Amino acid sequence: MLAVLAWLAASGIAVLALVRVFSGHPPAPPGARTLTRRELETVRAAGLAIYPRGGAIEPSGEDAGVALHADRFVRAQAPQTQLLVRLLFFAIEHATLVFPAPGPRGRRRFSSLTAEQQIAYLDAWRTSASFARRLLFTSLRAILTMGYFADEKVLGALGLSAQTIEAPRIEADLLWPAIGTAATGTGALGSNSDGTAARS
Amino acid sequence: MSGEVRVFAQYDHDFDEICDAVVVGSGPGGAVVAHELAAAGKDVVLIEEGPPFAREDFVLDGAMSMARTMREGGLRTTRGTIMPTMQANALGGGSLVNSAICVRAPAFTLDGWCEEFQLRRSTRADLDPHYLAIEDFLGIAPTPDDVQGARNLLFRDGCRALGYSSEPIARNVRGCRGSGECFTGCRSRAKQSTDISYVPAAVRAGARVLTSAQVQRLLPRGSRVGGVAGQIVRPFTGETSHRFRVHAKVVVLAAGCMATPVLLQKSGLTGGSGQVGENLQFHPGVAVMGVFPDATHPEFGATQGYQSLEFVEDGFKLETLWAPPGVFAVRLPGLGYELKKNLSLIPRAAIWDAIATCNRSKGRVRARRRGMDPVLDWRLDPKDLQVLAEGLWRLTEIFFAAGAERILPGVHRLPEEMRSLDEARVIRAHDFRVTDFTLAGNHVFSTTRMHGDAGAGVVDEDGRCHEIDNLYVADTGILPRSPSVNPMLTLMALAHRIALGIAARL
Ligand SMILES: Cc1cc2nc3c(=O)[nH]c(=O)nc-3n(C[C@H](O)[C@H](O)[C@H](O)COP(=O)(O)OP(=O)(O)OC[C@H]3O[C@@H](n4cnc5c(N)ncnc54)[C@H](O)[C@@H]3O)c2cc1C
Ligand code: SF4
Repeated sequence: MLAVLAWLAASGIAVLALVRVFSGHPPAPPGARTLTRRELETVRAAGLAIYPRGGAIEPSGEDAGVALHADRFVRAQAPQTQLLVRLLFFAIEHATLVFPAPGPRGRRRFSSLTAEQQIAYLDAWRTSASFARRLLFTSLRAILTMGYFADEKVLGALGLSAQTIEAPRIEADLLWPAIGTAATGTGALGSNSDGTAARS
Repeated sequence: MSGEVRVFAQYDHDFDEICDAVVVGSGPGGAVVAHELAAAGKDVVLIEEGPPFAREDFVLDGAMSMARTMREGGLRTTRGTIMPTMQANALGGGSLVNSAICVRAPAFTLDGWCEEFQLRRSTRADLDPHYLAIEDFLGIAPTPDDVQGARNLLFRDGCRALGYSSEPIARNVRGCRGSGECFTGCRSRAKQSTDISYVPAAVRAGARVLTSAQVQRLLPRGSRVGGVAGQIVRPFTGETSHRFRVHAKVVVLAAGCMATPVLLQKSGLTGGSGQVGENLQFHPGVAVMGVFPDATHPEFGATQGYQSLEFVEDGFKLETLWAPPGVFAVRLPGLGYELKKNLSLIPRAAIWDAIATCNRSKGRVRARRRGMDPVLDWRLDPKDLQVLAEGLWRLTEIFFAAGAERILPGVHRLPEEMRSLDEARVIRAHDFRVTDFTLAGNHVFSTTRMHGDAGAGVVDEDGRCHEIDNLYVADTGILPRSPSVNPMLTLMALAHRIALGIAARL
């Protein structure tokens, strides 16, 4: 009898864990190719908590497309690094079990918390006495911040848009082609350097 | 002899090459050696794992730029004391992404090297002709005022007000436009990174340059080495394909202070001294943002245009700094609207940093079982932490002396904002912990250090391995300890000397 109860309890916990991790996430935004819709939702929610709409700089993290940027950034990493970044997103999403957000139902996964709870939860990570927790928060914020500033609207709002630069052609330009584009003016060396089909 | 640069798409089969000297790594160390040897009429093959970047390959998005130009996508960190550290993976190595700061090591530092590491020919007077050769070749000169921009000149003003020495930074640039983009690659082609300076000169002198080619081991030949072997790697993905071997009379490892010990360890060439991969040292740095009453237009100005050597003998150097906003904004305090408020101060801000010598803080580089990335163990010594705290304080002083209305130190357990020097005095009394700081360390040394005693180092003063007489090292691993200032120029001077020595012997 005890064994049956234990089995039922274990199955119940497993089902709850599966529901918590896998169900009820909105579809991925078009263009996402690497992160799952669950991960994208974590990043989107964190992006909105860290960079809400309005205030001193108008665009929100969501307006700046931080989730899609994170998707591109993770894709550009080696498999081992990709895994670490994804573990970071997983930790932020589910650590509410260990560090619940204040207020009712604070143990829901991060992306299901109310906006106020999300902010309070992340602020607790940011100011935590635990270096490990602060480090995870800083890593998350670094990824989101780099995505936020990759958006021209954000740079434009701060007057930090890049200069237009007409560069002179130099000797080295004759030695190799641009990566992934057709070689021009490279003489005997003309071919693509990343192996993609050359355009003529 | 006509040289060439080979790129990824040109490799369609396994191949062998034969030459006088093979140089592994095209950063400041390797490119100088390759050029000097080729110019001396030697048949040189220069091998570089990263791709060559054309002007249009640079992306301004800091994250994506790091993913393209840096090892481990720019996310490499040490263990022990956790600190990010960046090493480039590109033709030109670190010079492609660095700020072009070129400073000769002070005489007291080089004298200290000679005394402690039993070196006889490495005083400032010994190295001066080599420094000069590099400075002439690259057109190294102090940054002119017209490309300094306010965020650099305010540093000068602050130093002057306090009576601290300061000077425009000498850089390897020609026609800098003050775009502040050195970190993501110079679109103006002003920065004389080795890919567009020493490498083309080496090619002109006949060197063959293999890019996207990862050396994986050294080939033994009796008690010597006979060359190197490796595989072609696809840019950015690291996917391996064709195999190659380069047979040479002399092998020069200049793969960087972290990759060279890994190559030696993977090749079973750690020798009897036990020093390969040991003594890992950094220049950890702290950066502070100060906010001024008026716009500083930080988007304009040389990336790092001004410095103060006032405290070099105390173990730290002060500099101005700029980076893609998304990279340094990572340090700013706050969340939500408060964070946005802090970010909105950037147009009135300047960022200055202190890099510390940290000779007491050591670690080690070990090879992983798979792949060529290193495991980095390193710990910041508590006494060195105090030096960083002192650097933080001096920066604070300079900010307020220059007229800053507040500073944001970005240090845990300190107030997030300080509005006067009086308020900032808490820095003096604070009991800092290592984990309070957001450190970064991109200057790396000593893992194959030069030492007069074969039992205590890996190479001699000519860069030659004590135990293998046709194997040389010419990257920052040979610096026996910190050069007290930014390392590139000192490395290039040493590489110049090493190359002349090899050319004479070959
Ligand atoms: C962001 C940043 C800013 C900096 N700013 C300055 C500055 O302004 N002034 C200064 O003095 N210093 C600066 N530094 C440090 C400076 O760039 C380095 O000290 C310098 O580049 C070291 O030169 P190196 O030749 O030892 O190694 P690297 O520059 O690292 O070159 C090593 C080369 O070897 C290649 N390589 C590695 N492994 C292999 C392999 N297995 N096969 C083939 N090739 C391989 C690498 O891809 C790389 O191109 C900065 C560094 C960084 C990251
Ligand atoms: S500041 Fe701009 S123009 Fe000057 S060297 Fe750096 S990237 Fe090039």
